[in-house]
Amino acid sequence: MDRVIEVRDLVKTYFISDDVSVHAINGISLSVAKGEFLAIMGASGSGKSTFMNILGFLDSLSSGSYLLDGVEQASLDDDRKAEIRNTKIGFVFQGFNLLSRTSALENVELPMIYRGGARPSEVREKARELLAMVGLSGREDHHPNRLSGGEQQRVAIARSLINEPAIILADEPTGNLDSRNTADIMGIFTRLNIELGITIILVTHEPEVASYTRRKIVFRDGLILQDTSIKKNVRRSGK
Amino acid sequence: MNVSNLLLTALRSLGKNKMRSALTSLGIIIGVASVIMMVGIGNSARVSVRDKVYTYGANAMSINSERPFTEPDLERLRRSTSYIKYITPMVGRKAVNVKFENRFLESRVRGVNNDFFRIQEWPVTFGRYFTELEILSYEKVVILGDSARLSLFGNSNPVGRIILVNNVPFMVIGSLSELGQAFSGRDQDNVVIMPFTTAGLKIEGRRDFNEIFASTYSEDLVEKTAGEIRRFLRSERSIVPGQAEDFTVKTSREKLEMAEYIAKTLAILLAGIASISLIVGGIGIMNIMLVSVSERTREIGIRMAIGARRQDILLQFLIEAVTLSAGGGIAGITLGIFIYFIITIAVGWPFLFSVFSIAISFLFSGAVGVFFGYYPARKASDLKPIDALRYE
Repeated sequence: MDRVIEVRDLVKTYFISDDVSVHAINGISLSVAKGEFLAIMGASGSGKSTFMNILGFLDSLSSGSYLLDGVEQASLDDDRKAEIRNTKIGFVFQGFNLLSRTSALENVELPMIYRGGARPSEVREKARELLAMVGLSGREDHHPNRLSGGEQQRVAIARSLINEPAIILADEPTGNLDSRNTADIMGIFTRLNIELGITIILVTHEPEVASYTRRKIVFRDGLILQDTSIKKNVRRSGK
Repeated sequence: MNVSNLLLTALRSLGKNKMRSALTSLGIIIGVASVIMMVGIGNSARVSVRDKVYTYGANAMSINSERPFTEPDLERLRRSTSYIKYITPMVGRKAVNVKFENRFLESRVRGVNNDFFRIQEWPVTFGRYFTELEILSYEKVVILGDSARLSLFGNSNPVGRIILVNNVPFMVIGSLSELGQAFSGRDQDNVVIMPFTTAGLKIEGRRDFNEIFASTYSEDLVEKTAGEIRRFLRSERSIVPGQAEDFTVKTSREKLEMAEYIAKTLAILLAGIASISLIVGGIGIMNIMLVSVSERTREIGIRMAIGARRQDILLQFLIEAVTLSAGGGIAGITLGIFIYFIITIAVGWPFLFSVFSIAISFLFSGAVGVFFGYYPARKASDLKPIDALRYE
């Protein structure tokens, strides 16, 4: 099986002051195969969000190695990292992180505009399709402040998909949502994983959310406590 | 991200804070408007001064002496150099009361010979110039300047009428075309011109005079001729080197140069003030851009997370700054031209549309944006994605 992510002895240390440092991640090794759907769980402060940020090229690692598609992160310059965030990775955050005072459609278009090379009409068309796919047809011109939390998160998912990424990283994607919206969002992720074969890694502390995935990794104090794969015939429809 | 997208993004984010954007640009608007206005006024002033000097005669010079000249001096001066074409005494310039029937006028007398009109290239509108006989025989005849004629005779022909100059009767034999204001603001057309002989006898009460007016065959001979006259007078008056001269020779060119020097100095001064206001405007832009960067740190984080490169962020903020300053530049140019136009109308100067100064102002305002926008933009693009994203 192809390994999309290969992490070896990853350590992340924060220096709070000259002589005080905190080990957020204490030496983690992990492989993720293409098409996996996995959940990272753990109490707050267990290092799971830090780990996600490193996986997503948003943060740097202190030592160890991280290969994405066989390419070592440390060997890439800032522009290459930006390009990978742009084309290979789709982000979904707990706080949605949409640009305010910018329409849903424009939010979705943005990564493709940064990527460049596409005609404006092409970008618009694709953004519309994706918004339709997450069930937001007719809301294209709404600004985030006129959308509910669940709708905003669906805009964010559409945005993460526009450059056809291989991986979606979702950091507590349902943390701000009620149970009905949570089920909707998880349904979308499941479909993306099964139908498009996108590798999905999500961080959550809700067992309910983790139960949608097929692999559960539990972090504690910056180390992997548990790594379990669930063999099941996935048939969740999302509704 | 291409430039049109960046420009769109910049315009949109400026549009979200219209009031702030407008106030930020105000410094540049005022700076550029003053540059445009000052440069325009400077040019107009220079051109109008030059015009005045040329009406005075570009090959003309005036010789003033504390020790009076007499009529034979005129001939000696003429023979001292081979370039003098016309030469005339300038008697008087004294204020006189002029009366015709029940109309009174305060005017000035000038006693000259006919060369005076040739130097000034001053045509008659009614009548004629003096005759040699009139000059030789102290004839009581006058030629009126345009505004003197208008105030005494209105639109009727003054030729042959008798007027009183300081209660002495004179016959009007002609009148002159309009010359306009001198650059001192004095009305050059309010003048009563008579033969220098008559002016000496009837008005001044003496036959010598302190000023001679002359012109050369061409403009480039003026300086040379002035030098020769100076040398001639020094030797005639036995002035040794180092001793102060009791005369002056002033050429039109010197007057022109003086006027241009004043105009230029003024322009530099004004441009200096204007550049200071542009710099202050630039600092205002930098200030607001810094505020904007820190307010929008999260936005920067989001943009980086979805794939914006450092240069995309840098350009986004730089273009915003340049849009503010160049927009302010355009508004300032418009405002400056408008005010300058109003001023030229009010003062009666020529309106000179200078594409060069407009282009320079525009480029300069853009450059101010780049210069003062770079640091904030750099600060934004140097943020680490995760720090920007986590910023509250």
